[in-house]
Amino acid sequence: MSAPALELRELRKSFGKTEIIRGVNLAIGRSERHAIIGPNGAGKSTLFNLITGRFPRSSGEILLHGQDIEGLAPYEINRRGLSRSFQITNIFPKMTVFENLRCALLWPQGHRYSFWSLVSKDRALNEGAERILEQINLTERRNLPAGVLSYAEQRALEIGITIAGGADVIMLDEPTAGMSHSETEYIVGLIRDVTKGKTLVMVEHDMSVVFGLADRISVLVYGEIIATGAPEEVRASPKVQEAYLGAAMAAEH
Amino acid sequence: MSAVDQNRAASRAAAGGLSLAALAPWIAAIVALALLPLVFSDNSAITIMNQMAITIVFALAYNMLLGQGGMLSFGHAVYMGLGGFFSVHLMNWMEDDLVALPLPLLPIFGGLFGLLFAMLIGSFSTRKAGTVFAMISLGVGELIAACSIIVVAFFGGEEGVSGDRTYGVPVFGIEFIRHVEVYYLTAFWLIVAAALMYLFSRTPVGRMANAVRDNPERAEFVGYSARWVRYVSFCASGFFAGIAGALFAVNYEILTEENLNLATSGTILLVTFLGGVGFFYGPVIGAVVFTLLATVLKLQTELWQLYVGALFVATVMFFPGGLAGLIAIHATPWRLGKLGGLAVPYLKTLLPGVIGLLALCAAAELAFHNREAPAGESTMGLFWMEVDTHSPLTWAVVAVVAVGGLWLANRGAPALKAAWDEATTPSDGGRS
Amino acid sequence: MSLILLNLIDGLVTGLLLFMLSSGLTLIFSMMGVLNFAHASFYMLGAYFAYQISAAIGFWPGLIVAPLIVGVLGALVERYGLRRVHKYGHVPELIFTFGLALLIEEIVKFFWGTAQVPFLKPESLAFPLFHIAGNAVEAYKIFMIFISMAIFIGLLLILTRTRVGLIIQAALSHPQTVETLGHNVPLIFMGVFGVGTALAGLAGVIAGPVLGTFPGMAIVLGSIVFVTIVVGGLGSLWGALAASLLIGWITTFAASYNVGLADILTALGFERPEDLSETIFRDAWTLTLPQIGPILPYLLMVLILVFRPYGLFGKREV
Repeated sequence: MSAPALELRELRKSFGKTEIIRGVNLAIGRSERHAIIGPNGAGKSTLFNLITGRFPRSSGEILLHGQDIEGLAPYEINRRGLSRSFQITNIFPKMTVFENLRCALLWPQGHRYSFWSLVSKDRALNEGAERILEQINLTERRNLPAGVLSYAEQRALEIGITIAGGADVIMLDEPTAGMSHSETEYIVGLIRDVTKGKTLVMVEHDMSVVFGLADRISVLVYGEIIATGAPEEVRASPKVQEAYLGAAMAAEH
Repeated sequence: MSAVDQNRAASRAAAGGLSLAALAPWIAAIVALALLPLVFSDNSAITIMNQMAITIVFALAYNMLLGQGGMLSFGHAVYMGLGGFFSVHLMNWMEDDLVALPLPLLPIFGGLFGLLFAMLIGSFSTRKAGTVFAMISLGVGELIAACSIIVVAFFGGEEGVSGDRTYGVPVFGIEFIRHVEVYYLTAFWLIVAAALMYLFSRTPVGRMANAVRDNPERAEFVGYSARWVRYVSFCASGFFAGIAGALFAVNYEILTEENLNLATSGTILLVTFLGGVGFFYGPVIGAVVFTLLATVLKLQTELWQLYVGALFVATVMFFPGGLAGLIAIHATPWRLGKLGGLAVPYLKTLLPGVIGLLALCAAAELAFHNREAPAGESTMGLFWMEVDTHSPLTWAVVAVVAVGGLWLANRGAPALKAAWDEATTPSDGGRS
Repeated sequence: MSLILLNLIDGLVTGLLLFMLSSGLTLIFSMMGVLNFAHASFYMLGAYFAYQISAAIGFWPGLIVAPLIVGVLGALVERYGLRRVHKYGHVPELIFTFGLALLIEEIVKFFWGTAQVPFLKPESLAFPLFHIAGNAVEAYKIFMIFISMAIFIGLLLILTRTRVGLIIQAALSHPQTVETLGHNVPLIFMGVFGVGTALAGLAGVIAGPVLGTFPGMAIVLGSIVFVTIVVGGLGSLWGALAASLLIGWITTFAASYNVGLADILTALGFERPEDLSETIFRDAWTLTLPQIGPILPYLLMVLILVFRPYGLFGKREV
């Protein structure tokens, strides 16, 4: 069997004296949809930031397609086929929706730091951007500055930017945070659609989204994974019920 | 036009590249530049137009940083100045027969020299954007300006270096002695540089410069190093600033410390911001308006820098989009065919407002004259009138006009706002 | 030896003066993320106001009143100018303060003219306090040191002993925390801006009689102050202090030792060319340390940026 798409070995991260990630081991297979759940403050976002190179790790290994990505900058990790979205919408607000997507396609299509070719002349680039625009259902908003879109539309664009480059490992950080019920349904459908055949890692609070999308679930509590398995297993695990629900209660009070 | 039509048109433009509509402004500019010396043919007018052209090139180069790349520089005069100094040396080498070069090619070398230094300094200054970049640019700018005084071999010390442009290899028998010949050389490079800068903004790295400006972190997560994108923009900007410097050298045949210092760097920021950083053509408007304003005001009043400073601060506070932004916000009323509805409210508010502000300027002029004029001289020319600066009547008139004008403007403001809301709302109530 | 002592005193005066500006600038920058380009302009206003007041009622009232006026002006600028521009982002804020610096210079020229004004130190302090190897050290110089020391200690006490000080300290290391403090943040911002500019104004009052009170005084000192806070490390008060003193001493010592670069080159084994006008490195043979002195701070800044991007004491990357 080939190497997992993403593998974490004894990953640790401390901020000052506080250890936030305390030895995480996790292997996510190719084409697997994997959700990471856990109470607030469990370290889910930190884990995301470690994997994507936003923060340096304290110790341990992160393997992307079997290769360690230690010390690589976010853009280098992205070039190796890992793309992420953000919990707080992170788009290019003054550029049009179309430009947002086109920019996300530039590197994957091999344009690099070119100042000798014109973006308007590249048919594959423009058609690719149009296709994603259609996929995320924003064709109507094509020429508006991304900053004026509604919240749900910006979230959709965020996902569009994330998947545009064709990365095979997609990481989504709370894609449905702050959305109404109908918006959530729309985004879940979109995620299911655009991540076909890809490895998906996501952090999510909405349990209906998690159980509807994920093949496997990991539960992160206080920087440790206390359980990993299929949704039913995890749901049934008394350890998870005790730790997760207890901690979630504690976090809310 | 419906949204779908708009999308189709935009798709066509995006896929088809150069359409006639896209080329029209450029053709118009070329024609205008070719014809201008026929209309304004005296030497002083041509000098002003040359000054404008050089400022446009410099301001466009500056806006590659500020508007396109989100990098605020307080030291960009350095790259223009260095390109200029190098060009003067090249002219001197032509004179000494060390090199043989046609003068029209000089801007390329000026540009390359600017590029060289931008590559050097950008290697550490583009690590971050925003405040940090601004401070480093200021420090480096001051460093090089200070060096220019002590490194006499290259900068000529206090008196600078001067040259003679007429020793280049003649092109079609032109030796660039007459002003109008220099004008056409400058205009040619203006078009070339502006077109190249426009095209740069349409290349992958030019697009990513916008992306990095908007959100450097996100740019990293779509595969680009924000620092490299900034570096490439910075180098390109240094190149075009160097071209502007070479054009300056050709026009004035002398460069001094003044071409490098903070005042020059600050002026180009002012020019660019006044024109509007959000649009490619903003700096063009800024350069034209500023050059005219400075030329006219300088002749009329000693207080011109005070007015320019006040105008600048007012622009930053109230119209951060600059003149181009002011024009652009009228696109919606124009498209809706409601521009006419704004005319009367504008007249009712802006006219008294402008008169009120002019009266304030008059008060400043009177006070300044009272202090600076030789004792006993109590009359001065003010707005084509001869007034007595000590007479209470003069002061009373100025005060009444100022207060009255501003009061009327203030009273008209709500009506203007209502008219504006009306003019930007489609009649059918639907979304456009 | 006595020359060294004399230079140490002079450098201390310059350094502490720089610190009165750089401390306010650092506080404002750390709290609000705004680099106040007009900071040195408030320093200039302090000098001019004090000049006007001293002409009417004497130096000592000016020492108190001028900084207060400057502080109030600063607070007003924050309230009605900066706060308005804040929503556009940090770069427009910086452009605003830059425009303000231009405008203040023009306003100063409008009211007081382009020439230097005769702002003099108080006669009560214009006597030599003691001599070092025949060189008089004026009482005013010692007075300047005392004032700046007092300000420094006062600032330290406010920052470590008061509630507001603790909030400000928290903001220095964790800028985001301030945003969660609640409704009093705008008031604190206005206050910090006012106090910072008042400090600059005070620096202007005591420096005006020594360094000269003229419309270019803001530009002359302003860029050095920026260099100082970059060298010290953005957001670090201790860094600002260390860098201020370092730059104060470097420039003072450079100005008083007439070492030629040629001597150093000869010592290194280079040979002086016969005809200097022929070689492009001719400047290297004629330069002296006092000539290079004014550019040393900038050189220091570039070196710091290349080799130590956090500055001397900074935690945030420059």
